[in-house]
Amino acid sequence: MSQPVIMKSNKYGINLILNPVIPFSELLGHITDKFMESEKFFKNAQMALSFEGRTLSKDEEYQILDTIAQKTSIHVICVIDYDEEREEYARQKIEQCFTEDCESTGKFYKGTLRSGQELECETSIVILGDVNPGATITSAGNIVILGALKGTAYAGASGNETCFVAALDMNPVQIKIGNIIGRSEDKGLLASIRDRRKTATEPQVASVSDGRILIEPITKNTFNNI
Amino acid sequence: MSEVIVITSGKGGVGKTTTTANVGTGLAQLNKKVVLIDTDIGLRNLDVVMGLENRIVYNLVDVVEGSCRIKQALIKDKKYPNLSLLPSAQTRDKSSVTPEQMKKLTDELREEFDYILLDCPAGIEQGFQNAIAGADRAIVVTTPEVSAIRDADRIIGLLEANEIKQIQLVVNRLRMDMVKRGDMMTVEDVCEILAINLIGVVPDDEQIVVSTNQGEPLVGSDALAGKAFLNICKRIAGEEVPFLDLQKKASVFSKLAGLFKQD
Repeated sequence: MSQPVIMKSNKYGINLILNPVIPFSELLGHITDKFMESEKFFKNAQMALSFEGRTLSKDEEYQILDTIAQKTSIHVICVIDYDEEREEYARQKIEQCFTEDCESTGKFYKGTLRSGQELECETSIVILGDVNPGATITSAGNIVILGALKGTAYAGASGNETCFVAALDMNPVQIKIGNIIGRSEDKGLLASIRDRRKTATEPQVASVSDGRILIEPITKNTFNNI
Repeated sequence: MSEVIVITSGKGGVGKTTTTANVGTGLAQLNKKVVLIDTDIGLRNLDVVMGLENRIVYNLVDVVEGSCRIKQALIKDKKYPNLSLLPSAQTRDKSSVTPEQMKKLTDELREEFDYILLDCPAGIEQGFQNAIAGADRAIVVTTPEVSAIRDADRIIGLLEANEIKQIQLVVNRLRMDMVKRGDMMTVEDVCEILAINLIGVVPDDEQIVVSTNQGEPLVGSDALAGKAFLNICKRIAGEEVPFLDLQKKASVFSKLAGLFKQD
């Protein structure tokens, strides 16, 4: 390694890649220099710090933190162990919790969404009203519409294809679940009104099946496998 | 208690100005004190439909900017002294007026008039925001066409978001022959999509074109559209009036009468 210290930013803060061979006292000097150079840029910033390339003792870590605290206005909030396996595990856990959370919790919205109106929700959502053509309802979880879906619904917006969209009157312009999009057949608005009059409307649910959006009537068994 | 009513549609060319002119004149026929405000700054035309263009001295922007008093800008109708028009400016644009100024203006007019009707420009930009600023209620005009209905739905959403509680629908230019053939949406279809209360249905009527060209609203005349507009006025004033049977052909006599009137 040519440089004694390399600073890299990541989404939490700064990752320091340290030279494993040079003596610690020399390394500390380099770290101090690096931080003082970039002090203007980071002025009063709050960040997490992680180390890479060299195993530091607790005492060495404290020395580095003390130096940063004394010589610069940067606030180091925490030190993160850099460990690929653990990071992957943490990421999975966080996403799992998030997914469970947005599927198992929900909100209610009372009112009809008219053309041009958009509603986004990080949990599942129940609409007490209609979603008209030109309106969009987006949810990270499931969508239940106690009314007519005549516009666009986007369930599982964070990429979850196990989500569903249910409506008392299912006549959407477009349904998207995860990354799968389904659209209505090419038929004029007048013709679709006529058709709906002819057939009695029944509650239907849209879900992903074999990589396509499947709309089917809600039956006793519908929610057994969701 | 005076009321400020905005007549709007989103889409252009569906009959906002015609509706404003006829509803205003009709309310005047019912002995109400009415003022019409043309808020379509830069595209002035309510005065033309009312046949009052030649009387314009001051306009809406002059009033708002304080160049004249309201009284000076108000134009009295030819037939009905209890009907006035505040014309729009032709050489300015929508940004010449703010929603706050419009609200102040309508509030001042409340003291003198029973009904203040605002003719809204097409679109959802500043002109629309100006027009709805002081309104208590709204009349949304649409034709039975998918494009007009989609825009009306958008407008209704915006009116609701601006807390205008009472929003009513006028379905304009209905053609019964086409509805019968199944080529046009029925009033029921339109109401189902928009889900607001209906206050009137106006049939497509050649006489509207004739009356517009003459600069005399046809409300109250024997023409079917004239009757339909008068019914809307009565409903605005709180009367319960049954909807016209548009299936019925106009009687031979009223047709003849219409012919003579033209001459």
